[in-house]
Amino acid sequence: MTVKVFALSTCPYCRMTRKYLDENAVAYDVVEVDLLEGQARTDAIDEVKRLSGGSSFPVVIIGDEVIVGFNKKRIKELLGL
Amino acid sequence: MTDAALVRRRFLAGTTIDDLKAYMEPFADRLGYKFNTETEFVDEVLASEIEILELTGDVYCPCRVRTGDPKEDAKIVCPCIPFFRDQFAGLSKCWCGLFILKSIDDGGELLGVIDEPKDPVDVPVFRLDDLPPGQIRHVKVGRRDIAVARVGDEFFALANVCRHAFAPLAEGFMDGYTVMCPWHGWRYDVRDGTTDHPDADVRTFPVSVVEGEVFVTLSPRG
Repeated sequence: MTVKVFALSTCPYCRMTRKYLDENAVAYDVVEVDLLEGQARTDAIDEVKRLSGGSSFPVVIIGDEVIVGFNKKRIKELLGL
Repeated sequence: MTDAALVRRRFLAGTTIDDLKAYMEPFADRLGYKFNTETEFVDEVLASEIEILELTGDVYCPCRVRTGDPKEDAKIVCPCIPFFRDQFAGLSKCWCGLFILKSIDDGGELLGVIDEPKDPVDVPVFRLDDLPPGQIRHVKVGRRDIAVARVGDEFFALANVCRHAFAPLAEGFMDGYTVMCPWHGWRYDVRDGTTDHPDADVRTFPVSVVEGEVFVTLSPRG
């Protein structure tokens, strides 16, 4: 199952989410949207809006599921941790 | 000579976590919120805000993204509560959890699941006994002013404004299922917000009573 995290470098819940994934040895791609510039940043914001319907972080993609926020229970269920 | 950047900036260089706390506390209080009881977490969020402040000149929310559109970005200056009142009323906290409703004792319990409610949320407004039958009162729910009426054991909620001259309907007079506007006597049916006057119906909201507590239901985006 592919796991992707859209995060902000400043966001406490993004740090908690990444820490939780790291502790459980989950491999994932991460995009730190606030550290991007120019078109790449605009594209990432558009992608987050399309996926989550908003611009709140983190946005965690697990397979086809989109989770907004640090939802430990849901991550656990989807990854079978 | 005036330095425009300095005039616009509300915070001086070297602003500390304690400075932000002192600055925001009264704002949050007026909005019905207080700092989370998890003080370490509060310090972590405010430390992030100071990083953002150094970078951008203002205290944008650390959990939402700046789009570059100043008008949009102004909505995520901390505390962003006024722009998201309905969602936050359902969550009992702001998105980050930096602020929690004043009525919450343990903010730690709110730090886990933070999905924004996409479904309608039931917001507690008062105890059943706080409104005797045949009366109507004003409640603030999220950013809305709502009049809650009681007829026997039935409760109804409608916008607290007469569409004629904008009088507060909660100060009106109840007569069965009708509330009469306190200023000119326009009559509204509290069940569906209708009136005999043209184009003057008001919005109503679902109300429920659970274990002696009265709830008004709001749609997060509406």
